[in-house]
Amino acid sequence: MIARLLRQLAFVLVLALAPALVSGAWQLAWKKEEPLAPGEVRLATAREWGDKVQWVDARSRAKYERTHLPGALLLNEDEWDTLVKPFIDEWDSDKTLVVYCDGGTCDASHAVAARIRKELSIPDVYVLKGGFAEWEGK
Amino acid sequence: MGGKVIVIVRVIVAGVFLVAGVMKIWDFEHARSATPDFTIAIQQYRMLPWPDLTVALAVYLPWLEVTAALALFVRRFALGAATAVLGMSAMFVVAIGSAWWRGLVLDCGCFGKGRAPTDLRLHLLAGAVLLAVAAALIVHEWRRARRD
Repeated sequence: MIARLLRQLAFVLVLALAPALVSGAWQLAWKKEEPLAPGEVRLATAREWGDKVQWVDARSRAKYERTHLPGALLLNEDEWDTLVKPFIDEWDSDKTLVVYCDGGTCDASHAVAARIRKELSIPDVYVLKGGFAEWEGK
Repeated sequence: MGGKVIVIVRVIVAGVFLVAGVMKIWDFEHARSATPDFTIAIQQYRMLPWPDLTVALAVYLPWLEVTAALALFVRRFALGAATAVLGMSAMFVVAIGSAWWRGLVLDCGCFGKGRAPTDLRLHLLAGAVLLAVAAALIVHEWRRARRD
């Protein structure tokens, strides 16, 4: 009986593998690029989300005032306490938050995204892979 | 378990896994693959150390859910399918329990991308119910297979 169970289980596992391989090959063209770290999203994916995205600028105020992504809200760690209230007031909760910093090795976006998840209890927060530099380069 | 009860249980379990699987494969709201979102959902549990394993799981698991759900209705494979359902339910309970234990705030990714934090305790309970039901299905199929 155990053998029968294992045989059937193996059949189900293998049967699922076939469409998964086809689907994986078809769907995961983006996987050829550098792997995403936990919670990151690519610019192409965020663009597909269109106006459902709320950009969050985790850079300094000076950089934000110089230039920022369309409609981006400023929320950085240095001024968190001051900025968090207006941020909550302005954010449309139907929109998905995508946080960015300069790009390259900056990690301010990950820090701000983590605080948004933990302190504001908003799970639907992503970090833009490549940051602002990725946006400018496109 | 009575014949009618087992049919109802089988339909409910299969329905849950079928819907969960399909919604992790395809994002109907945005008409695109749901794999990237499910990959992120798995990453948020912070349990797997290798990104490639996360991606492989994000691709494979939804198809396993769909296959197991459909196989529950094929007499020759129902015992194996019920075992697969039990395994996935156990994995779900461990993942949710671990997230709850570590105080994580996340979207469970159970039915594709969610928009609000998951109530982990409620989902833990749901997972435990699924686990019990899957175990009952295995017992039923085991007895039926011995009779055959």
